[in-house]
Amino acid sequence: MRKYFVVLGLALAMVFSAAASAREVTFNTQLTNYRGDGAYLAIYLTDSNGVYQGTLWIAGQDSEYYKHLRGWARGSRMRRAEYDGLTGASVTSGRALKITMNLDDAFIDSGYEIHVDSAVEDMRDNRSDVVVPLTTDGAGKPVSGRGYVESFTYNF
Amino acid sequence: MKTTSIALGLSIFLLTGAAAADDDCDDPVSGWQPRENLRQQLEADGWEVYRIKVDDGCYEVKGRNEQGRRVEASFAPSDFQLMEMEGEDEEDDDDRRNRYQGNSGWSPENDDDDDRDDDEREDDDDEGRGDNANGNNNGPKPMPSNGIVKGRPSVSVQ
Repeated sequence: MRKYFVVLGLALAMVFSAAASAREVTFNTQLTNYRGDGAYLAIYLTDSNGVYQGTLWIAGQDSEYYKHLRGWARGSRMRRAEYDGLTGASVTSGRALKITMNLDDAFIDSGYEIHVDSAVEDMRDNRSDVVVPLTTDGAGKPVSGRGYVESFTYNF
Repeated sequence: MKTTSIALGLSIFLLTGAAAADDDCDDPVSGWQPRENLRQQLEADGWEVYRIKVDDGCYEVKGRNEQGRRVEASFAPSDFQLMEMEGEDEEDDDDRRNRYQGNSGWSPENDDDDDRDDDEREDDDDEGRGDNANGNNNGPKPMPSNGIVKGRPSVSVQ
């Protein structure tokens, strides 16, 4: 009986520690009224040196154009495994993309940065339209983009 | 006769200029890395490299990528930045469509781009993008597999 409780306790501890290791994060990307076609966006993680760590979301369905998301393309080498299950439609001018996902706690307050690359047909590509550290202090604080992103905010 | 020669010369000059402007890569030759380095890098990534040649100032690679898909890709010769990648021309369209659907849930309607110029984006791809922004209209999507995102994100456009 005692052995049974020990096993049950261990199992519960594992379940709770796994749940605690991921945090729900919402990313809100508001675009400017740039008056062009739908924007392709890459939202991805880098370390503090800007070295690519992983993809969070790609807005834009046609992978032929992913090369225009230049910083992301270079870091991810556009491997399908990097973005499988993490793609959706492009985002039109003036609208906001809201993504909620579970992210490993290890990426928060550990020097990691969120980058957003953006590209629009017949308009310039913006490598690192947004760069913002992923920290508890930075949550809820809008950051201005330098391309098609008007503001970018994340919340836990 | 002289006017014709000048016009012809000018035309050739302009055509040459246009061709040069279309080059995908413009890395100075002094900075090029050996193509064998690119081969090793790609093979380490799981590629099977058939051949590497120089085209428009880029290293053009034919082979199979890590998913086993036949591809033709261009890389900048100095830093091996991927400039362009596409499925090989001789592939059958139906095969490609089946594979795209199987791998990523892409709809074949979005994959009719074989004859397009690299910098063209089809209007029908743009239509309703905002409405489709949750990305769930193409059937079941695969779960993220990159180890960064846990579970499937929820997405909306406002």
